[in-house]
Amino acid sequence: MVPDRAVMASERDVALDIRIQGVSKSFGSVAALAGVSLTIRPGEFVAIIGPSGCGKTTLLKIVAGLVAPDAGTVAIGGTRVTGPGPDRAVVFQDFALMPWATVLRNVAFGLELRGVGRRQREEVARRIIARVGLAGFEHHYPHQLSGGMQQRVGVARALAVNPKVLLMDEPFASVDEQTRRLLQDDLLDLWAEERKTIVLVTHSMDEAVYLSDRVVVLSPRPARVVGEIQVDLPRPRSSKTTRTSAAFAGLVEDLWGMLKEMQ
Amino acid sequence: MRRIPSWHAVWGLRAAALILLFWLWERAGRQPGAYGIPAASATAAAFWQLLTSGALIAAVGTSARSFVLGFGPAVLVGIPVGLLMAFVPPLGRMARVYLDVAMAVPMAAVVPLVILTLGINVAAVALVVFVFSMPFVASNTYGGVREVSPRLIEMALAFDARRRHILFKILLPGAMPMILAGIRYGLARAFVGLVVAELLLAPFGLGELIADARSTFDFDRMFASVLALLLAAVVVISGVQRLEGRLLHWRQ
Repeated sequence: MVPDRAVMASERDVALDIRIQGVSKSFGSVAALAGVSLTIRPGEFVAIIGPSGCGKTTLLKIVAGLVAPDAGTVAIGGTRVTGPGPDRAVVFQDFALMPWATVLRNVAFGLELRGVGRRQREEVARRIIARVGLAGFEHHYPHQLSGGMQQRVGVARALAVNPKVLLMDEPFASVDEQTRRLLQDDLLDLWAEERKTIVLVTHSMDEAVYLSDRVVVLSPRPARVVGEIQVDLPRPRSSKTTRTSAAFAGLVEDLWGMLKEMQ
Repeated sequence: MRRIPSWHAVWGLRAAALILLFWLWERAGRQPGAYGIPAASATAAAFWQLLTSGALIAAVGTSARSFVLGFGPAVLVGIPVGLLMAFVPPLGRMARVYLDVAMAVPMAAVVPLVILTLGINVAAVALVVFVFSMPFVASNTYGGVREVSPRLIEMALAFDARRRHILFKILLPGAMPMILAGIRYGLARAFVGLVVAELLLAPFGLGELIADARSTFDFDRMFASVLALLLAAVVVISGVQRLEGRLLHWRQ
């Protein structure tokens, strides 16, 4: 694989910080978020966890610019978020692949929307497809792929637009346990290469601790930040060394302690 | 273990069924007293005569013109109407009732009204074809767009899609299976409209050919004309099925 130098360089250099300040959001009479504040450093991998239905996904959508907050602001790299932007890309829980488009076209879709020419966008897409381990499946349709492969397409589509911030909404919740572990390790590899800022919404304590630098805990609805855990496990991490360590077990237990109080 | 029949076997069976049908038809036509049932061979001879005399081609041409003039606009109007209904929900809820009624009522009842308004001419036939088929195209387009997963729209928005992107890259391709199904239903209905109009009220084209033969008790010719109409419908509908297969190959 010949890396495109210009793209690789910019991928390495730039990661952006995220500043979420006093963000509140209600849907009708239901308050989802009540004054959430959170600062994420450039290149940091932050996991957001909380009881189900607590508004984690709403918070992610606000950062993505898909939902406007009722109060408060989000700024990415110092620029206030007023809508979706090329600095961010989202990976969806249900993959959200276009069933009528091939893997190649799905992965190139973000670039297609930006008006990048066919040749160029397919070249980028092919490279990223190879990187997520789907070389040879360029012309397959989503229904011909397993759930894990479909989510690789979802990740590849997000990476293809070369975002500074990767927003992941329970990306591995819809795949089986074995596949999930493979995808988690692949994500760690990708992140080690590129050091994008990653916000991962998850309901898995194991996943949050295994992947992130810091786990942020939200309260039940309306969500506020009630605590966080620094995950200072050494990197590179692997199941064999990380998951078996006492420190890992301790952190998961700490996290459970915080979540249990809210049940 | 069941074997999937091969392409050859399927076509062999189809041909066998057709030969059987023609054999039974021939036998029925040769029964003494089967005055109104011309034998298959007599029908074929009449068909050949219609074909060589040019009468059939002229009739098909006239019918095809009415058909295209009616069904073309049905598609060109039906799809935008369905899209508009999907984009403006109050309009959709309001108009849907009328589409449902238009699809449920015996449309043949409006034929006299159309003839009364436009007179006995090709435009009247085309209008009947239009009112028979348009509601199906519009209704399926509306349903198809509404069934596109909102998650895909959200995905496109997250990648900074513009409105036209959402329309042309998500909603239309997402609704395409239902739009094409609507075109297929509409096509079948358009043939009904064509026959009803030409046969009963405005004798043009194939309808005229059939009515002429009937009025002179030339049953060979009448059967041959009916056969021509059926063939035309089969050709057009299988054409649309092929188009569906091509456009929707991603679903296999």
